[in-house]
Amino acid sequence: MSNATQTIPAQPLATGKRRFGGGPERTNWPATAILILCTLGVLVPLYVTISMAFKTTGQAVDGNAFSLPSPLTLDSFVQAWTLTNFPRGFMISVFVSVTAVAGEIVVSALAAYAIVRNWDRRVFRWSFFYLLAAMFIPFPVVALPQIQLTGLVGLDNPLGVAILHIVFALAFNTMLFTAFLRSIPLELEESMRMDGAGTWQVFWRLIFPLLGPMSATVGIFAFIASWNDFMMPSLIISDPELQTIPVLQKMFQTQFSNSYNVAFASYLMAMAPAIVVYLFTQRWVMSGLTQGAVK
Amino acid sequence: MLPPLTPAGTRVSRRTFLAAAGGSLAAIGLAGCAPAAAAPTITFHQSKPEAVPYFRDLAAKFTASQDRYRVLHDMATNLSASFVRSSPPDLGCLNYNLEMARFMERGALADLSDLPEAGSIRDDVLDLTNWYPTYPGRTSVIPYSVMAASVIYNRRIFEANGLSVPTTWDELIEVCERLKAAGITPIYGTFRDPWTIAQGLFDYTVGGMVDVRGFYQSMHQVGEKVGPDSEVSFQKTLLEPVRRMVQLKKYVNPDAASRGYGDGNTAMAQGQAAMYFQGPWAFGEIEKAATDLDLGTFPLPMTDNPADLKVRVNIDLSLWVPQVSNGQQGARAFLQYLMQPEIQNPYNAKFLGFGTVKDAPPVTDPRITEMQKYYDEGRFYMGASQFIPNTIPAANYIQSIMGGADPEATLRRMDADWARLAFRA
Repeated sequence: MSNATQTIPAQPLATGKRRFGGGPERTNWPATAILILCTLGVLVPLYVTISMAFKTTGQAVDGNAFSLPSPLTLDSFVQAWTLTNFPRGFMISVFVSVTAVAGEIVVSALAAYAIVRNWDRRVFRWSFFYLLAAMFIPFPVVALPQIQLTGLVGLDNPLGVAILHIVFALAFNTMLFTAFLRSIPLELEESMRMDGAGTWQVFWRLIFPLLGPMSATVGIFAFIASWNDFMMPSLIISDPELQTIPVLQKMFQTQFSNSYNVAFASYLMAMAPAIVVYLFTQRWVMSGLTQGAVK
Repeated sequence: MLPPLTPAGTRVSRRTFLAAAGGSLAAIGLAGCAPAAAAPTITFHQSKPEAVPYFRDLAAKFTASQDRYRVLHDMATNLSASFVRSSPPDLGCLNYNLEMARFMERGALADLSDLPEAGSIRDDVLDLTNWYPTYPGRTSVIPYSVMAASVIYNRRIFEANGLSVPTTWDELIEVCERLKAAGITPIYGTFRDPWTIAQGLFDYTVGGMVDVRGFYQSMHQVGEKVGPDSEVSFQKTLLEPVRRMVQLKKYVNPDAASRGYGDGNTAMAQGQAAMYFQGPWAFGEIEKAATDLDLGTFPLPMTDNPADLKVRVNIDLSLWVPQVSNGQQGARAFLQYLMQPEIQNPYNAKFLGFGTVKDAPPVTDPRITEMQKYYDEGRFYMGASQFIPNTIPAANYIQSIMGGADPEATLRRMDADWARLAFRA
């Protein structure tokens, strides 16, 4: 995993002495232009979000989205904080995401390990196909029975949402893990068994650590999906005091009223963890994106 | 490279994680249980966003005023899901519309007719709930606040051009012509948002000419036979109002097609146009952008007879208690608390609503006082767009008419949709 940036030989553009035909150091202007445009596509909305969050209500609706906030105010943050009861909603969201991330990694890794090592047995092979088939069932299709079921068994709370996240992602995650597991040589495992290790020990001490890069990929996807999810918590959680942040933020978007400044302040606060997580894990995000592609 | 195998290390971290997860679970569980043990919790579902702090405050006050119930303000739970789960909120305080009426029609809402508060509601206001499908023999909803909507106009622009409020269709056209001649945009259109056309132009023009309730009663009776030859139909009954609606297109801002609700509010705050087809909910938004304004409201005149003038109303908030709620007593107690004049009247005054009880005080806000007369005399209708099930994308059809589609063909299509839906039912 070495994605060190390509070192470009120092070749100042101002000299204009580049050879005709160009070498690898030649600036690709069309690509640069496209990349600049793409960067703007991220930066402009981000700028509007940040400047909007610091505006007063009057300035937020004056029709000039790009103007700088004047006067600068933190009122929107205070309002968003109290309206959504931010600390509580935030903790619930963290709980759901952490449980979903940990659960998805462990459960899918276990399933994939069992399936790959028992591929010659029909039950395991078919159970793999059975799990894969679940990829074709999106949550909205089975939302109604899920609402009733979770209500019946007392899982109409954040824990139920986390469990549903784990289960719905099981299909895709198991596929990722299986593909990766096939590349781990059986001999490694055999040598450990020779020393008297049982299946659990082999899994926890050898296989699970080896699955690290793939676990990072699964974890990142799991975090993004569960942190941003609106529909599942909105339908499953029955106690309004245990609701997650995205659902609580719904109150800022209605047909009849716009509270851009409060909404954007709230979104910024909710975005923060995702950005922090990305900053710390971007190394794995980048490698993880290609990880799933290579068998 | 493999991470070094340190059994103790991994064990501890795993144990710490589990302990942390268990701990947070317990904390959440306890937080949920602790107050409930003291007094039964009444879930109060209310989701009108601008009124959330207001009602949250009321819920806290009620909880503090007695020790039998604790009221929990809920704005986040999905209503349909809670009914599916058989754990609906104990007391609802929501906009009453066709979607809500489905719960009533199926008997999901409890009878409240034994409450003295049910008897205090104005008969014609209580009757508004019967415009939608009902459950026989029950008073399932108690209207809490009525919103009256009509054309919002800028009094200063009218005065500066020597114009008075029009009371007939011809006067309206004349007002528009004179404003146009003076270089002022007569009507601000926000056609990018389909609902603004449906609830504004469409509802006002139709409501001013057609008996909305009678029309939909006949439409339901004719059902799957609705078509070019039926006694009522969109293409026949609504054609004339819709034609007039298209006629008004001449007087909107040229960029109406790309303007949304938010733009309209800002434009009205900046005095860019004289008239605006929105309800009082827009005042709160306009106020955000500018407060030094003199706005008023008048019913859209659609005929040559000023006696035909009517305003559009809707039950903005209604109170109901679900049949399966297990906090009936508490819900009723809080309902009665909310219905006290000293609670209900200030709410309506603050959020520009009209009172629903027989002795409700008249509104005092100068922006809506002009509608009081019509409301008192029962000269109102509910918006025609509000009776079309969501399965028919009526607002989009109406938007396409304003965008240039043939009104007759589009209304024919709505008839076909209506008949198809009736056939399926």
